[in-house]
Amino acid sequence: MTGELDELVVAARAGDEDAFRNLYRNLQPGLLRYLTALVGADAEDVASETWLQVARDLPTFTGGQFRAWVVTIARNRAMDHLRRQRRRPALSVPVQELSELAGDADTAERAGESLGTEAALAMIASLPPREAEAVLLRAVIGLDAETAGRVLGRRAGAVRTAAHRGLRRLAVLLDQRAASTAPDDVPTGADIRARRRAGLPPQTEPVDG
Amino acid sequence: MRGLRVMLSRSRRGDHERLLDAAPHAGPTRTAPGPTGPLADLLRAAAGPARERELAGEEAAVAAFRTARQPGAAASTPRRRRRRFTVGAVAWVAGLAATATAGVALAAAGLDGSGPVSPPVVTSPAAPAPTIDATPPGETGPTGAATAAPTDGPTAAPTSPPARSPSTPVWPPGASARPSPGASGNVGPGNSENTRDHPGLCRAYLAKSERQREQALRTPAFQELVVAAGGAEHIEEYCHGLRAEPEQTGSAAG
Repeated sequence: MTGELDELVVAARAGDEDAFRNLYRNLQPGLLRYLTALVGADAEDVASETWLQVARDLPTFTGGQFRAWVVTIARNRAMDHLRRQRRRPALSVPVQELSELAGDADTAERAGESLGTEAALAMIASLPPREAEAVLLRAVIGLDAETAGRVLGRRAGAVRTAAHRGLRRLAVLLDQRAASTAPDDVPTGADIRARRRAGLPPQTEPVDG
Repeated sequence: MRGLRVMLSRSRRGDHERLLDAAPHAGPTRTAPGPTGPLADLLRAAAGPARERELAGEEAAVAAFRTARQPGAAASTPRRRRRRFTVGAVAWVAGLAATATAGVALAAAGLDGSGPVSPPVVTSPAAPAPTIDATPPGETGPTGAATAAPTDGPTAAPTSPPARSPSTPVWPPGASARPSPGASGNVGPGNSENTRDHPGLCRAYLAKSERQREQALRTPAFQELVVAAGGAEHIEEYCHGLRAEPEQTGSAAG
């Protein structure tokens, strides 16, 4: 997998446009998912800034892990972006929205009993930032702990610990989710959302019995 | 007891490492061996195949790649730091020029209130006649000599039209090397009407790092951008908006 990527990098450096296109297709989904956890809705802007820089600086890429190089650029751009914005330090997706996303996915996938990409990412993004980053770099971008540590400027052990804690938290969330979706009368996020769409307040408790 | 807990925790950590390692490589085709369980499902879903809208920026990225490979761009790409410096220097010089000419314009206004637009005295003889090639229609003023051929040299300068001329080539920070430091007496920028090279300023601004931007915003040149954008925090948005529009002016760099 990495070897394939390396070949593409060599070809792209030699000017092969298709190779560059393939690199984009290879890396962009993970990059965007990672950036969404960092900067929320602005992830696409930051991702395109990242690719501009990748395209421009490709000649200066001296080797090593291309994936890590791109992610480092993306992370720097994201940090710039956050500094510019200042108002939101880390996580910008409101919890409400996250639960709605998860809820939507519930309705779509309750039959298959499996999580959708969107819902899975929303759950990861709800972790504390360090843990979310560690999990995403490891599981979604596909870096090993050492490389992820280099990207984050932390030791590999710290990345392992953060990812481990993140997964533990996710396991708890999954348990809660399973518990809450099991009984049918408990309103899920999707139900609440549908009610709101219908113009009703989110929590419609029948007051009059 | 405690040892047992540590052991359990270790083994769970190991499990987690395996889950994390497996997730990105578990394509939809490979279903058999991967780890199972809700956590594994979640990670696999998070690393799931690309969705179409995630690749929406593909053409833009490829276009950027194409642009970067063009001969002109190729020369400048490896020297990012230098380019930044150049852009910074140009912006700085432009700011200086703006301040200087603004001062001259002020002084001129103070000197002579009678004429409609009294020209500033061009002090530097070395400066070639301003590159104004067309005086605005209603601007010839009482001194008809304003239309003197610019090639006449320094003598033509005093009567040259002041900074008002809308046809004055805007000062493009992007088009480097134009505002030479010696031309401080030159007629040109400074009047807010004709310093509208916002795309150029934007390019310069966007090319800067976060810290450089903060510095740049303290210079007079970028002050104008702040005003135009309606606040420092809106500059980026404003600039991206400008960039989206096709450039009608520009291309003066040649």
